[in-house]
Amino acid sequence: MTTLASPLFEDRPQSFRHRTLHSFNGPVGSITATLAVTLLVGLLWVGPEFFAPSNIQIVGVSVAIPLIVAVLASFALLAGVVDLSIGSMVGFGAVIFNQLVATGLNPWLVAAITIGVGVVVGLTNAFVIVYFGAEPLAVTLGMLTLLRGLSQAIVVSAPPTTLIDPLYNVTQGALLGFPTLLLIGIGITLVAAGFIGKTRVGRKVQAVGGDHRAAARAGISVTKVRVIALVISAVGASIGGILYVGQLGSASNILGTGLEFQIYAALMIGGYSITRGGVGNPLGGLLGLLVVAGITNILNIQFFDPDYLDLIVALILLAAVLVDRFRGGDEFE
Amino acid sequence: MTTSHLTPTDPVATKPDKPHISITDGRTFTSFRDAISITGVWVLLLAATLIARPDFLSNQTLLAVTFTMSISGVLAVAQALIVISGGLLDLSLPVSLTLSAWATVSALNAGLPTVLAILAGLGAGACWGLLNGAIVVFGKLNPIIVTLATGFGGLAIMLILFKSAQIPSTSALRAYGLGRFLGLPNIFWPMVITIILFGLALTYTRWGRRLIAIGGNARAAKARGLNLRRIRLATFTGSGAVAGLAGVLFSAVNPSFTPASGTGFQLIVIGAVILAGISLSGGKGNLLVLLLSVGFLATIPTSIAFFGLPPAWSLVFQGALLIIAVGIDGARLKRTSR
Amino acid sequence: MTQLTTRSRLVRAAFVGLAATSLTLTGCSTVDPAAGGSDSGATDDGTFTLGFAVGGQPDADWQELQGDVAKGLADQRGWDFVELSNDNSEATATTNADLFIQKGVDMVMMFNGQPSANPVIAKKYEDASIPVVTFDIAQPGWYFVGVDNASAGTEGGTKLAELAQEKWDCDVDLVISAEGTAAGQINEWRTGNARTAIQETCPDIPEDNYVSYEADGNLTTSLANAPGVFAAHPDAENILVVGLNDQAVVGALQAATQLGRDGSIMGWGQDGGLITGDNVDPNLAGSVMYFLEGYPASAFEIADQIAEGNAPEVKDTGDNAAVSVKPCPVTQEQAASIPNIDERVSELASAAKGTTEHDLFCDF
Repeated sequence: MTTLASPLFEDRPQSFRHRTLHSFNGPVGSITATLAVTLLVGLLWVGPEFFAPSNIQIVGVSVAIPLIVAVLASFALLAGVVDLSIGSMVGFGAVIFNQLVATGLNPWLVAAITIGVGVVVGLTNAFVIVYFGAEPLAVTLGMLTLLRGLSQAIVVSAPPTTLIDPLYNVTQGALLGFPTLLLIGIGITLVAAGFIGKTRVGRKVQAVGGDHRAAARAGISVTKVRVIALVISAVGASIGGILYVGQLGSASNILGTGLEFQIYAALMIGGYSITRGGVGNPLGGLLGLLVVAGITNILNIQFFDPDYLDLIVALILLAAVLVDRFRGGDEFE
Repeated sequence: MTTSHLTPTDPVATKPDKPHISITDGRTFTSFRDAISITGVWVLLLAATLIARPDFLSNQTLLAVTFTMSISGVLAVAQALIVISGGLLDLSLPVSLTLSAWATVSALNAGLPTVLAILAGLGAGACWGLLNGAIVVFGKLNPIIVTLATGFGGLAIMLILFKSAQIPSTSALRAYGLGRFLGLPNIFWPMVITIILFGLALTYTRWGRRLIAIGGNARAAKARGLNLRRIRLATFTGSGAVAGLAGVLFSAVNPSFTPASGTGFQLIVIGAVILAGISLSGGKGNLLVLLLSVGFLATIPTSIAFFGLPPAWSLVFQGALLIIAVGIDGARLKRTSR
Repeated sequence: MTQLTTRSRLVRAAFVGLAATSLTLTGCSTVDPAAGGSDSGATDDGTFTLGFAVGGQPDADWQELQGDVAKGLADQRGWDFVELSNDNSEATATTNADLFIQKGVDMVMMFNGQPSANPVIAKKYEDASIPVVTFDIAQPGWYFVGVDNASAGTEGGTKLAELAQEKWDCDVDLVISAEGTAAGQINEWRTGNARTAIQETCPDIPEDNYVSYEADGNLTTSLANAPGVFAAHPDAENILVVGLNDQAVVGALQAATQLGRDGSIMGWGQDGGLITGDNVDPNLAGSVMYFLEGYPASAFEIADQIAEGNAPEVKDTGDNAAVSVKPCPVTQEQAASIPNIDERVSELASAAKGTTEHDLFCDF
């Protein structure tokens, strides 16, 4: 049952119904069950106020930015190149945006500059990884350190406060009783899921992550796919940084520290792998983030010691990868 | 060629392509080249700092660098053992470090003799390593993911266990941590001994050759009759004990620490291992080159201080160097495999 | 075959779960308006509820103890008490504000070590009309309870400089500031004012002899970054160390010992975190104690008035504080008679209402 791994992505065309069933069968199915259990625990332990609009707003606001960063970073995972620098890039993007807006520049212009910096960082990662053939984990670890150092070199004392009202309203507000930014995040997730599952380019990304040699033989440009995936990942992180400044009104030099591990833990719970490309679905990523956010929220509104949160997330992560392996995924030796 | 290093199940991984006959010669040559290039960059750094500050080369700089090297050097050995044996990476080393430091200090505070306290520290590290190894081996899970989770969870458990720990100021271990031998900090010597000992063991003992063999090609090693599970478990436990030694040294020089005190070592240790040319794909690595790379990385903060720059810049330089180093290493691999 | 059944069972479990969830979701959404009212929620049974957010900085054990002390004081009064951790993260601190507002607390006390999001947090509490007590880091509109950091810096610097005058006749080769720039203005007050005070007492120390480095306010980072600083000033003999807190200063003193530069070095800490107990660094000449863990005792003076319905006027700056915690500069010898942090907490718990730790322990 375990040793003969069935290929997760078959070239055979499948009916829509079959594919839907197939996806429920896979990681998305078990993560849906996990989410259902989480919600049930919340309902039983906390009571109906767990689903109160104010509580949904709290969860939505705190999960939305990590979700947007995660969905865009998942392209790199899917293409088989893990990008550890996203947490530092979120922080660095936020610092640049906050400091430049504080000087009085037009926020739109500054946002463009920040995204531009994201592109440069993504291209740098891509250049070393793809053209030199270096280990993605090592390169992006270096970038993580470098960007954190730059943030600390730029913000040496209390950072300026830049409350931008429209951005604050989008990142903290609600639309029709639902957190606006979460709606945007879910929208991005659905678009990404459609793109991955339904378009030829999306299938190319999966193919490159799954087996890059076979992909190359099939005439797909592995280089191009991976470069674009890494740029998308860094740009997503810089957008996350901008949104954090909107939400928090400022940016310290430690913003985003450790965010990459939180995001990848949630993505792995949702069926991605940081050590193997070609697997995972943005919908699974969304559900994974919701599970972690749900548990966080349950502990929070019960005013439970937050130290237990990381322990629970760690156990769920281990359980998720174990279940994935029983299904024939990611086996180590 | 770029990512398959990290995919142990990938049937078309690069490992089988490697020429097995010339592995020893090739490795010695690569190590030599790595050593030369690190020394070269190191000399450049020293020269640049010397031009700015002619008094850079002094006994004080030597003390600062050797002190900085000590704990990260021992941790780097622990990490290197995992990487060379094909265990990819151990992301929970900061937990091993503070857990064993806490065990040592608790034993001392309970009035146990120093020897037992040190054994408690080593034992705590070994147990932590064994736990990681057991999850990896019996769950057949990827070590990076396992240690990511245990790193998270372990820190959480420690935060529940204790808030801060202090070594008794009158203890012999504390006095050792403050002393010097042959003009260098006491804690520098256990690091040097650890590197030399494990360096020799890797090259000259059957145990070391097995470790390298399963790191280079686990399947072939298994086919040759090696017990993969046992070696993996032993490697994780042994590496944990080495991290435990780092914890003991850490407790001797840090009069007060918290569960999170180890987190600062994570990046610098992984950076040192990668810079030393110890590829994450496993099966290769020279610990003497590791000593060089630890020394080089430890020199950066001191140089930064001599230039009068804030310490944040040493992060920038260390990060940039890591990127450049793995880039060069990748390009070289790409060329030789063609 | 087994695989197939497992799979279909999984599928069924997933669907059942989904269905159950959506059912409960629809069921609950009708209850929402009643339960979701933000400041007059169903949880409000008339008992005064206090929300307390601890700092959650991993290197400061007094932050958790602040929570314990506050819980004890709230229990004394029969109040509801809920506690969260800001986790040393501005994003978490902001979410915590939403959680307290949702809970419908009557008042919030907090230490927020990453204050950059404080304006946003203040806006949220203002909209919900919840009074806030902030410890040590001032924010317009919030009751400031804390030490006058500016004078704490000056007092520490003056004490240290007086020692230097007495022992070395102000012949000081190096004055090191172990900073924690993330603390912003507080860092400036404590280290900057200490430097200025040294300059006033010993005016002949040249400008070049003052050096600062980032210690991040914790011992491990300080010990990692300080050796380079000592090495870069190899000829300095008489050395003074000031810093953001005791941890930062002790990190520098430890580095000096490692480099054999502890012949004539003196440090004066801030916050008193490492000046009591059995393991005090011999070169830590003294510290300015604020009895951080006891801050809630001061904050409850305000809380009592708010609970009675006559909220005092908001005083929100260090100069014009709601409660100014008196700094207590102590030498190492004096500190020897002060009990350690855990004993202080238990003594404070059994003391009469309105007693502060300064009354209990700072009498020299």
